[in-house]
Amino acid sequence: MVKTQLLVVGGGPAGLCGAIEASRRGVETLIVDEGVELGGQLVKQTHKFFGHEGFYASVRGFEIAKRLKDQLNEHVKIMLQTTVTGIYEDVVVLYDRQNDVPLEVQADYILLATGASERFIQFENNHLPGVYGAGAVQTLMNQFMVLPGRRFLMVGSGNIGLIVSYQLLQAGAEVAAIVEIADRIGGYDVHLRKIKRFGIPVLLRHTIKKALGQEKVSGAIVVQVDENFQPIEGTEKEFAVDAICIATGLVPSVELAAMANVKIEYVPELGGFVPYRDQNMRTNVENIFIAGDLAGIEEATTAMIEGRIAGLTIAQSITKANLSREIESLQRELIEFRSGPFSEKVRRGLAKFFPQRVVEYSREPQVDSGPVGKLRPIIECYENIPCNPCQTSCPTGAIVVGGNINSLPKIDYEKCTGCGICVSKCPGLAIFMVQENVEPGFDLVIVPYEMLPVPEEGERVIALDRDGKQVCEAQVIRIVRFPHKTNLVHLKVPAGYATRVRNFRVKKQENVFVCKCEEVTLEDIEKAIDLGFTDYEELRRYLRIGMGMCGGRTCRSLVLSILSRKLGKSPEELLKGHFRPPVMPTKFESILRGESNED
Amino acid sequence: MKTEYRIIIVGAGIVGCSIAYHLAKFGESDVLVLEKNYISSGSTGRCAGGIRQQWSSPHNVLLAMRSVKLFERMREETGFDIEYRQGGYLVLSYDEQEAAQFEENVKMQKNLGLNVELLTPNQVKQRFEYVNVEKVLLATFCPTDGHANPHLANFAYAFAARKLGVTILTHTEVLAIEPTGSKFKVHTSRGRFEAKIVVNAAGAYAGQVGSMVNVNLPLESYRHQILVTEPIRNFFDPMLISFSGNFYIRQTKHGHFIMGQGDKDERPGLNYNVTFKFEKDLAKKMCWLLPFLRTLRVVRHWSGHYNMSPDAQPIIGESPELANFYYAVGFSGHGFMLAPAVGEALAEKVLFGETKHVSIAELNVDRFERSTVRETNVV
Ligand SMILES: Cc1cc2nc3c(=O)[nH]c(=O)nc-3n(C[C@H](O)[C@H](O)[C@H](O)COP(=O)(O)OP(=O)(O)OC[C@H]3O[C@@H](n4cnc5c(N)ncnc54)[C@H](O)[C@@H]3O)c2cc1C
Ligand SMILES: Cc1cc2nc3c(=O)[nH]c(=O)nc-3n(C[C@H](O)[C@H](O)[C@H](O)COP(=O)(O)OP(=O)(O)OC[C@H]3O[C@@H](n4cnc5c(N)ncnc54)[C@H](O)[C@@H]3O)c2cc1C
Ligand code: SF4
Ligand code: SF4
Repeated sequence: MVKTQLLVVGGGPAGLCGAIEASRRGVETLIVDEGVELGGQLVKQTHKFFGHEGFYASVRGFEIAKRLKDQLNEHVKIMLQTTVTGIYEDVVVLYDRQNDVPLEVQADYILLATGASERFIQFENNHLPGVYGAGAVQTLMNQFMVLPGRRFLMVGSGNIGLIVSYQLLQAGAEVAAIVEIADRIGGYDVHLRKIKRFGIPVLLRHTIKKALGQEKVSGAIVVQVDENFQPIEGTEKEFAVDAICIATGLVPSVELAAMANVKIEYVPELGGFVPYRDQNMRTNVENIFIAGDLAGIEEATTAMIEGRIAGLTIAQSITKANLSREIESLQRELIEFRSGPFSEKVRRGLAKFFPQRVVEYSREPQVDSGPVGKLRPIIECYENIPCNPCQTSCPTGAIVVGGNINSLPKIDYEKCTGCGICVSKCPGLAIFMVQENVEPGFDLVIVPYEMLPVPEEGERVIALDRDGKQVCEAQVIRIVRFPHKTNLVHLKVPAGYATRVRNFRVKKQENVFVCKCEEVTLEDIEKAIDLGFTDYEELRRYLRIGMGMCGGRTCRSLVLSILSRKLGKSPEELLKGHFRPPVMPTKFESILRGESNED
Repeated sequence: MKTEYRIIIVGAGIVGCSIAYHLAKFGESDVLVLEKNYISSGSTGRCAGGIRQQWSSPHNVLLAMRSVKLFERMREETGFDIEYRQGGYLVLSYDEQEAAQFEENVKMQKNLGLNVELLTPNQVKQRFEYVNVEKVLLATFCPTDGHANPHLANFAYAFAARKLGVTILTHTEVLAIEPTGSKFKVHTSRGRFEAKIVVNAAGAYAGQVGSMVNVNLPLESYRHQILVTEPIRNFFDPMLISFSGNFYIRQTKHGHFIMGQGDKDERPGLNYNVTFKFEKDLAKKMCWLLPFLRTLRVVRHWSGHYNMSPDAQPIIGESPELANFYYAVGFSGHGFMLAPAVGEALAEKVLFGETKHVSIAELNVDRFERSTVRETNVV
């Protein structure tokens, strides 16, 4: 039996930050994570994070993880490749995969930061190999360096869909299209623009109807939907793709929280079923806290702040030191961060737990495009998102994101020296440099470029506009390389084209691919509902849904959505599932090994 | 919405649904079943699904034998494949006194017409080579015992009853029952209903439902834990059980192994949590008994309740104190397998005043005023 003051389940940004704050105050902390390294979602992310510079915006995900790890002190023990399989009445059980043994833990406090899992959707043949969740694609591509397809259809235009599309391009794949069932893009405009520049079509009010192929995906049929999201006959389009990536959202991984008797509520704005918590991240169970995506699907910055609040509150309970000043200041950060239009949904969701406050931000855009002929940045960031690295990176203070992090950036060309740092720092790749008439008949455009291969100086490339359309030929005249960062490619374009050219194209390289599959069924479910199995739990038991190895992580939300669609009831009315340990199947011999270890 | 029925049944577990189905089958479909959660949410949906006729009490043997007849016909009658499999029950004894009792039991069971045999440890090894027979003194085997999928059996009765006109309302909790002389007013979370006859089939909550009308039923509910492994090739025919060894195990149609054991330290009460100690204890015991289990993974672990009566036999009948209040409760860990026969018998009793297939006369609550013999074949 291991004893610890604090058990942190999940070593993503939320869990790590909780551990950092608690251990800094002397709390003996054990972090358990099932991954091969700490960092959660961060380690899969090769892009620069948007968000607050103070919380590592503009740093790439996997590097944020490193920086957080460095802040853990001697009070912290870490167990990796270890799954918390159950919070039982008597103990918490960890299963150490490397040594194949379970371990029993008794903790005074538990911080659950288990993040989220992917939400899947139904369509014909969605079991075919070649249909992947966005998370699986990222893991294969960014952690294991395997590209699971050559040409993808992306389903979903939230930030994840947009970012993974971009990462696919970076990895050398093609993205045939992005389909989005809603009538607007779900993610940030700056992320959309990053991929539009490569000419990738985004089809709004479209969804996937069917995956084509016998043994694996060889294509996809996409269809337009009406205002009730029902497919419109006759609008089908076919795409030749060998992979389909599903990025239709995340659902909080509430299994452990539910097992620990934490109240689970249905708050669609936060991602579905979420555990109840207060402003200090404490649940209805006195010594159990939550943070991060588990508490509501949001982003890394808020996950980190929530983790810190939880860690401080726990430290306060254990050490009796008064940490209210620190806690309140973090709560203020959260309020500021969540004041923008993009957090409107989250605020509505959180209001079910406690009252929400907002602070004002500026909606005024930059109008001045600067003195013609001067080498200067053009900021194409027009949406109020919580982001500010442009401001914090500028050495002369020329860029200001006024007052609140959700305000729009503004630039004072008087102060700007044309150094280009902001261009390389902006995680939205929304800043470009231009200079008219660098040579007679030619303008200069400097674009941030994160693709491979990096062209040679002197090479001729095809210049593209904001929608990825070819506009002219351009010559690469200089490349400023940043280690692990965005390269700045200087393009010489015909005079007058500086306002249009935002990207360019070189010949692509081909990649090898491997594939793996996920399996889901639909016809049986519909049949059973028609038979009269209209209760989620009855349906589950009738069809044995969620009784397989995954414990129903993916099918739960799928089944609920089918039921909800067929019966016109909200998932809440359809009752939440029960969660039964172990979270991860555990071998008998491993259980036995745990026993003999203790004797 | 219709609010008056001839008969209201509290609880849509297998017992309540079997009663409802049989009432309708015998022509009475003016029946309402009230269920606070969903069908199979109670002990039925949590049980192991074992169907055994080898009991120490003749009542249980007879009810179980009748149930087996009904299980055999269930697919045909209800249209549901309940994954019923008659692979036999192999009962192992590790205790001298118990082994001696088994010889007596087998005589009694044979007298009642059951095909059952005594096996030596060597015979067990010959037939079931995967079983470690170390320390086994004696075994009994009945080839017509078996198991079924409890969810599907519960649904089978519920859907067949609905088809015959019975109403089953789920997510409707009975909060109070008011006897008014000629009828009962049943207050629920979805309003009031009325009926001439009320049947208590509330499983682990049967004591509470009894006390709503001041009918005292000597019942206590005890948590029982159970777990299931990942599936493997289907090869394990019998359900394997031992009272002295304190375990049971079977393989499902889909290849999973379901197993459990009792805990003598468990205190009465309603508790749905699970303990890791259970997994450890069971892992140790079962890997010793069936070494091939070692590499199998546990995928789910949950708990349900045995609703225990003082002699571990069900309490069935009409209340001697309150006319038209019936119950089928206190199944003491074997209500799944008895449900078909009990449902049939109680329906007959309600409609015709007497049973036609098996007697339940000795199973009413007044037996505790006389002397009863405790059923010993229980895990
Ligand atoms: C493609 C993509 C791009 C993103 N881009 C941005 C961005 O640019 N800016 C931004 O702010 N946010 C971004 N996010 C969101 C951000 O990554 C998440 O909000 C954040 O990682 C949530 O942190 P967390 O600690 O709550 O969860 P996670 O990072 O998901 O960590 C949870 C951890 O818990 C572990 N775990 C779960 N269950 C168990 C168990 N039973 N036992 C042991 N361990 C367990 C998991 O292995 C995991 O390591 C992005 C997300 C994605 C998917
Ligand atoms: C781990 C375990 C293993 C078992 N293994 C076996 C086995 O192998 N073979 C076997 O024969 N038996 C077994 N049993 C016993 C068997 O599960 C029960 O005896 C049987 O399911 C009882 O059925 P029931 O319909 O009476 O009760 P339940 O299935 O519990 O149904 C009662 C229903 O009444 C409802 N209810 C209660 N109060 C109210 C109210 N106030 N209003 C409305 N509804 C209410 C409940 O929600 C419930 O759905 C096992 C039990 C457990 C726990
Ligand atoms: S170019 Fe340099 S000085 Fe000008 S705004 Fe960008 S960072 Fe600031
Ligand atoms: S311009 Fe500034 S606010 Fe806009 S995305 Fe870039 S760094 Fe963020």
